[in-house]
Amino acid sequence: MAWPRKGPATSLSRADHLPLFFKVLTMTFFSALLAAEPAKAAAHAAPAAGAAEAHGPVADIIQLFGGFGVDGPHLLVQLVNFSLLAFVLYRFAIKPALGQMEERNRLIEKGLSDAQAATRRLAEAHQVSEVKLTEAADEAVKILTQARFSAAQTVEAAKSEATAAQAEVVAKAKATIESERTKMKAEVQAEVSRLVVETAAKVLEQTLDDAQRARLNEAAVKQLAR
Amino acid sequence: MSAASVRAEAKRLLALSLEGGAVSADRVGAVLAALAQSRPAHTLRPLLRAYLAHIRRELTRGEARIEHAGPLAASEAEAIAAHFTKLLGRPVRPVTRRNDALLAGFRVRVGDDVTDITASHRLANLAKSLS
Repeated sequence: MAWPRKGPATSLSRADHLPLFFKVLTMTFFSALLAAEPAKAAAHAAPAAGAAEAHGPVADIIQLFGGFGVDGPHLLVQLVNFSLLAFVLYRFAIKPALGQMEERNRLIEKGLSDAQAATRRLAEAHQVSEVKLTEAADEAVKILTQARFSAAQTVEAAKSEATAAQAEVVAKAKATIESERTKMKAEVQAEVSRLVVETAAKVLEQTLDDAQRARLNEAAVKQLAR
Repeated sequence: MSAASVRAEAKRLLALSLEGGAVSADRVGAVLAALAQSRPAHTLRPLLRAYLAHIRRELTRGEARIEHAGPLAASEAEAIAAHFTKLLGRPVRPVTRRNDALLAGFRVRVGDDVTDITASHRLANLAKSLS
């Protein structure tokens, strides 16, 4: 997830901060310079003055701090300078930086919350997708079962149809064969009968003489008379 | 004359030509003579043609055409004609013709009626019954 790149929420931009920052550094440098010169002078003068005027524990402490270059007025000035510096730094550097950090933190928080929301939505979407996948799987199983059932029915119907067609073809073939057989039988029988009759006629024609024919004619006349 | 009147006149002439139910040659001659005298020759042709057809048909009706295989005695032919005379109620005379292809027996045709008592006919019937 990309973080939002927004500008700082304060009224000053980075370009505005740079001249101000240099001004503060300049003021600090000159303040330190002003404070350093009296401290050096005091440090050189302190042993002589201390030896002449101060006695007791407080004087010793003051003399000791003076030996380290710590002077009251200068310390006050430095405190003021430091306070000004701190104020300026806080007002123009730290506060905007904190604002930016808070803004960044807010953006990060927002990003995290968005990420959590996205994660939550992703989880929800995952759950939804899981549910849908489960439903789709169930539906697929149903469709597959139905398809298998339909395929089985189709196969059974095709088998029945093929069996019926086969039986019909076989019946037709049997009927055709029977018809052909009957026809051939009749043809053979007719041919045999024709041959028998022709043979009988030829035999009769060759064997019958006039006497036999006369007797047969006489019998025919008698048959006609009856 | 129209065709119908010609047929009717031919029938009338045929009736005049019969004697005892049979065609008489004398009567036919008398009819022809009467026609030749009473009518012009050019009008007689269709009438004579119709009359001839009726005479032929009547003669056929009076004949028993007997086809026989082998010899057939005249007495047998007469017996056959007598049988048909009795059966048809009109005189029938026999006309015989030998045909050995009939193998045996005879076949009689009287007009449009045929009586077949031949071996060839029986063999043909046998072939039909066997086929």
